[in-house]
Amino acid sequence: MKRLLAIVIDLLLGAAVGALLASVIVPALLDAGETSDVTTGLYASALGAAVFALAGIFAKASIGGVSLGIDAPEGRSIRIVSHLGWLTLAVFIVGGWIITAISPIEFFSGDGLAGAGRIFQALVTPEFDIIGEALSAMVVTIFTAFMATVIAVPISFVLSFPAARNVMSDTPLTKSIYVVLRIVLNIMRSMEPIIWAIVFSVWVGIGPFAGMLALVVHTVASLTKQYSEQIEDVNSGPIEAISATGASRIQVLWFAIVPQCVIPFLSFTIYRWDINVRMATIIGFVGGGGIGTLLTQYQGLAKYNEVGTLVILITAVVWILDVMSARVREALR
Amino acid sequence: MMQPLLSVRNLTLTYPNGYQALKGISFDVMPGEFLVIIGLSGSGKSTLLRCLNRLLEPTSGSVTFSNHDITHIQGEALREHRARIGMIFQHFNLIPRHSVLKNVLYGALGTTPTMNAMLSRFSDDATQRAHKALQVVGIPEKADIRADSLSGGQQQRVAIARALMQEPQLLLADEPVASLDPSTSNSVMSYLERINKEMNTTVICNLHFLSLVRQYATRVIALKGGEMVFEGTPQEITDEWFRTIYGDDAVEVEIR
Ligand SMILES: Nc1ncnc2c1ncn2[C@@H]1O[C@H](COP(=O)(O)OP(=O)(O)OP(=O)(O)O)[C@@H](O)[C@H]1O
Ligand SMILES: [Mg+2]
Repeated sequence: MKRLLAIVIDLLLGAAVGALLASVIVPALLDAGETSDVTTGLYASALGAAVFALAGIFAKASIGGVSLGIDAPEGRSIRIVSHLGWLTLAVFIVGGWIITAISPIEFFSGDGLAGAGRIFQALVTPEFDIIGEALSAMVVTIFTAFMATVIAVPISFVLSFPAARNVMSDTPLTKSIYVVLRIVLNIMRSMEPIIWAIVFSVWVGIGPFAGMLALVVHTVASLTKQYSEQIEDVNSGPIEAISATGASRIQVLWFAIVPQCVIPFLSFTIYRWDINVRMATIIGFVGGGGIGTLLTQYQGLAKYNEVGTLVILITAVVWILDVMSARVREALR
Repeated sequence: MMQPLLSVRNLTLTYPNGYQALKGISFDVMPGEFLVIIGLSGSGKSTLLRCLNRLLEPTSGSVTFSNHDITHIQGEALREHRARIGMIFQHFNLIPRHSVLKNVLYGALGTTPTMNAMLSRFSDDATQRAHKALQVVGIPEKADIRADSLSGGQQQRVAIARALMQEPQLLLADEPVASLDPSTSNSVMSYLERINKEMNTTVICNLHFLSLVRQYATRVIALKGGEMVFEGTPQEITDEWFRTIYGDDAVEVEIR
C-alpha cells in the first residue's frame, strides 16, 4: 500500500518537473511568450514521470519511498535521490516564480507605491461615521458564529461516538458504520466553508442564515473529528469497570467515556467558536452576511476610509476573542 | 454434596490478533472459597478473570455460574450475569472528577434503568446501600469528595464499595494491590478477607506476592503460558513448585 503511494508520488513529481521545464521555464528563458504547446508539455511530463519512477524502481532511489520512510537508500542511490530532490525543488521554485508572475519592478514602481500609499493612508484614517452600522454587522457575524456552534455541538456530540474506533470495534456492522461515517466527515471537512456558503447562499438566499448553515456543516465535520479522537484516547479502565457492573452500552458511554471527555470537549468547542467568528467574516465576502458582506460593499465602492474602520473592528474583535478563548481553555486544563 | 458456584471447563481464548492466551483451563470454585490465581506476567491471569464475568468471550470450552452456562450469553442475560459479579482492578478504575458516592452508586447501574441513571436518579434504597458500603470499607466521611483526590488505598476501597453495591455472589480482583504500598496492600486485602468471611462472598483474586497468597488464599491455582500448572493449597507451594511456576531464576520476595 505504502509502496503504491510512493510510486504515485514519484510519478506525480516527475510529471510536474517535466511539465514545468517544458511549458514554463524553457519558454520563459527563450522569451517565447504564450507559444508553449500542450503536446510538448504532455511529452515532457510523461518523460519526467518515467525518469523518476525508473530511478525509484531500478536505482532504488525513490523520492516517494524516502519521504514515506519505507526506503533507506545508500551509496549511489542516495546520491541519485538527493540530486533528483534538489532538481525538483529548484524547478518548483523557478517555475513558481514565473507562474505567480513575481515582478519586483511592479512591486517597487512609482505608480504602484503611490496607490498603496493612498490605501494605507485611508486605512489609518478610518471613517468612524459608519461605526453604528459596522457594530451591528459585527454583532451579526459574532452571532452567526455563535449559533452555528450551538447548533453543531449536539450534532457533533451524537456523531462522535459512532465515529470513534474504540466504540465501534465489536462487530463488522458497527465497524463499517464507523468507516463510512469517517469518510463522509472527511469529505465534508475538506470542502472549505466558503464553498458551503456559496451553495447555501443560492439555496436559502444571501444573508446570515446561509453563512450560519455553511458554518454548521463545517463545524459538525471538524468537531466530530476532534471529539471522536478524544473518545478514542480515553482510558479503557473505567470502561471495563462500568461494563463489569452490568451497565448497558449507553450507560457505559455516559458514565465511563463522557466524564473523561467533557473538559476537552468544552475546550474544543470554545476554540471552534473562536475560529467560526473568523470564518463568518470571510464567509461574509461571498454572501454570508455580517461584517464580511459590509466590507465587500465598501471595498467595491473604493471607500477605503470606511474599509479601514471595518478592518480595525474585525482585528479588535478577533484579537479579544482569541485572548479570551485562550484564557478560558487554559483555565479548563 | 455442595454444588460449585463456578465451573470452568477446557476454557480457551484466542485474541483477535491470533495470540492464544488461554489453552484449555478447567477448575471448580465452591461457594465461600478465597481462590488466588498466580503466575508470571503474561501467563493469562487477567484474561481468565475477564472470561468469568464475560468482559471477554471465550473461544471454546465453557463457564458455568450457579448452574447457568454463561459462555456465550448476550444482551440482557449478559448484563444480569455481570451485575451478579463484582470486580476490582489494579488501577481502581474509578470515574475521575465524580464524587465518591456517585462512583459507589455506579455499582447499581446493572439494576437501574438506563434513563434514570443518566439523570442521576438512583433510588433511595440504592443511595442508602451506597453509604453503607462506604461504611464497610471504612471511609463513610469521604462520600462527597472527588474520587480522584483520594489516595490509592482509599480509591481501591471505593472500588470495593462499588463492587459491594452489586451485592455480588462472586468478587473478582485483578491484582488489587499491585499499585499500593505494603501496609496499604495488607489493609485492602483484609477488607477482601472480611467480605469473604463475613458476607460469605466467594473471591477470586490475581496476586503477585506469595506472602499475601499464603496469608489469604484458601486455595491456589497457577497459570503458565495460558495453561494451569498447579492447583492446591498455599502450603503445597514448595520451592520446587515455585521454580516450576516462576522459572528457575526466580527468588521469593516478602511483603508484610
Ligand atoms: N487485547 C489483546 N490482544 C492480544 N493479546 C493480548 C491482549 N490482551 C492480552 N494479550 C496477551 O495475552 C497474554 C496474557 O495476558 P494477561 O493480561 O491475561 O496476562 P496476565 O497474567 O494478567 O499478566 P500481568 O501479570 O502482566 O497482568 C499476554 O501475552 C498478553 O500480551
Ligand atoms: Mg493482568
